[in-house]
Amino acid sequence: MDPDTAIGGPHGRFPSTQLSLLEAVATGLPNQALERVAALYWKPVYRFIRHKFHRDNEDAKDLTQSFFTAAFERDFFARFDPAKASFRTYLRMAVERFAASQHEAAHRQKRGGDVAFEPVAEQAVTTGSPEEIFEREWQRQLFALAVDDLRAHCDGCGKQLQFRIFEDYDLAAGERPSYSALAARHRIAETSVTNHLAWARRMLRGFVTDRLRGVTAGERELHQEMRRACR
Amino acid sequence: MSLNDREPSDRKPSDRELSDSVLDHLRRVAALPDLTGTRYELEREIGRGGLGVVYRARDRQLDRQVALKVLDSALAGEAQLIARLEHPGIVPIYEAGTLPDGRIFYAMKLVAGARLDGYLAGDPSLAERLRVIRRVGEVLAFAHARGTIHRDLKPQNVMVGEFGEVYVMDWGVDAVAGTAAFRAPEAVLDWRSDIYALGGMLAFVLPASAAPALRAIAAKAMSADAAARYADAPALLADLERFQDGLAVEAWSEPLWHRWRRFGSRNAVLLWLLAAYAGVKLLLFLLRNL
Repeated sequence: MDPDTAIGGPHGRFPSTQLSLLEAVATGLPNQALERVAALYWKPVYRFIRHKFHRDNEDAKDLTQSFFTAAFERDFFARFDPAKASFRTYLRMAVERFAASQHEAAHRQKRGGDVAFEPVAEQAVTTGSPEEIFEREWQRQLFALAVDDLRAHCDGCGKQLQFRIFEDYDLAAGERPSYSALAARHRIAETSVTNHLAWARRMLRGFVTDRLRGVTAGERELHQEMRRACR
Repeated sequence: MSLNDREPSDRKPSDRELSDSVLDHLRRVAALPDLTGTRYELEREIGRGGLGVVYRARDRQLDRQVALKVLDSALAGEAQLIARLEHPGIVPIYEAGTLPDGRIFYAMKLVAGARLDGYLAGDPSLAERLRVIRRVGEVLAFAHARGTIHRDLKPQNVMVGEFGEVYVMDWGVDAVAGTAAFRAPEAVLDWRSDIYALGGMLAFVLPASAAPALRAIAAKAMSADAAARYADAPALLADLERFQDGLAVEAWSEPLWHRWRRFGSRNAVLLWLLAAYAGVKLLLFLLRNL
């Protein structure tokens, strides 16, 4: 089993502002836009390449890195037309074209020889089409970044208790504890558990919105992406 | 710094990735409306459309259940739009407000009943099916007269209440593009697009044995050319009424035999009386001449 890379995980620190993607580009902050796009999309692109083109871990990492490098060197943002598709769709199609051209180039070099792509069976067990995997990873990375933002925010403003309750309940891997058990564990009233959770969830939604605002072209696309992210 | 300058190892690796179950939970709770500061208490989700989610909630002040619709702030116009439409076939809005995260919500009457697609599963009579369509048509006529179009009329947006009342829900805003099977082909929707959708609804509710005249009414309403459809909802309703009164419908030029049959079934009593009269006269004639 060839495990996926840990690069592009949710703990990378990337700047977060209120500017939309195109505003950031238009106001001379393309690096900032690039950072936000890479923070959110590195892993979805990597997983998409792995599953769509049957690449092994190292190949997929290299190809992902090459894609971001090449895309951002070549007027990537300027070619994005929000009237035609969401930025997420635009980016995925750009990845597909890029990876296909790389695949073709590699195939030409090795024509007649062995093209050693990893068999599908050896990849991590994942169901769904590469496009579905891409969207699912986009959601996963988006929420992972938002949870990081929430943690940092709570640390910064002395709301560690709120985050711990959120962590104990909403991030619980198995069975979730009852509110009364949480109240007893943290020695607070049960109503405080409810209030702290409501606060944390509201903040989480805010950070999800903020992350998406950084990679969408405007309010309309932002709302559409929010609907795809939060169900 | 660009990505060229950064090696993959520069990025801090993740020590924990969100599992599918945690991700699904977070997606769900992030979507839940935070009703802090309102009089409502969330109970459960009862419906979901392209533009918003409807929850069943309890109004603590009045101790009653309401339907609470949550929409993006960009769609705030929907509540105002519906609030302007006071009609027995449009669910009344009790209150509208803004959530702490900026989304808007409105509380409305919680209708007990079934969506039209579910209602048809009970196999209602043709007369009952047509009654529902006529009620929907009346609501459309009312809204169109006030300059409002629905944009997304379909069986899922019509509720039949437990007392037979019919409600047209989910009044559209500009963001709505319609639902494929009921969406008119024109790029820009107007009131005639609602006529098309009403025709689609009529076709949807008709049983397989429906009369050709009814199918013709649905087909006329669903003409690809908007100008060939009924001019407005009352015109369609009038044709339905003509059908139910046994008259010729505008949408169908019926064959002569069909016209005679319709005449016969519509004037059966008169024809029977005439036949009886003719029979008696014939009998008397025969008796006198034998």
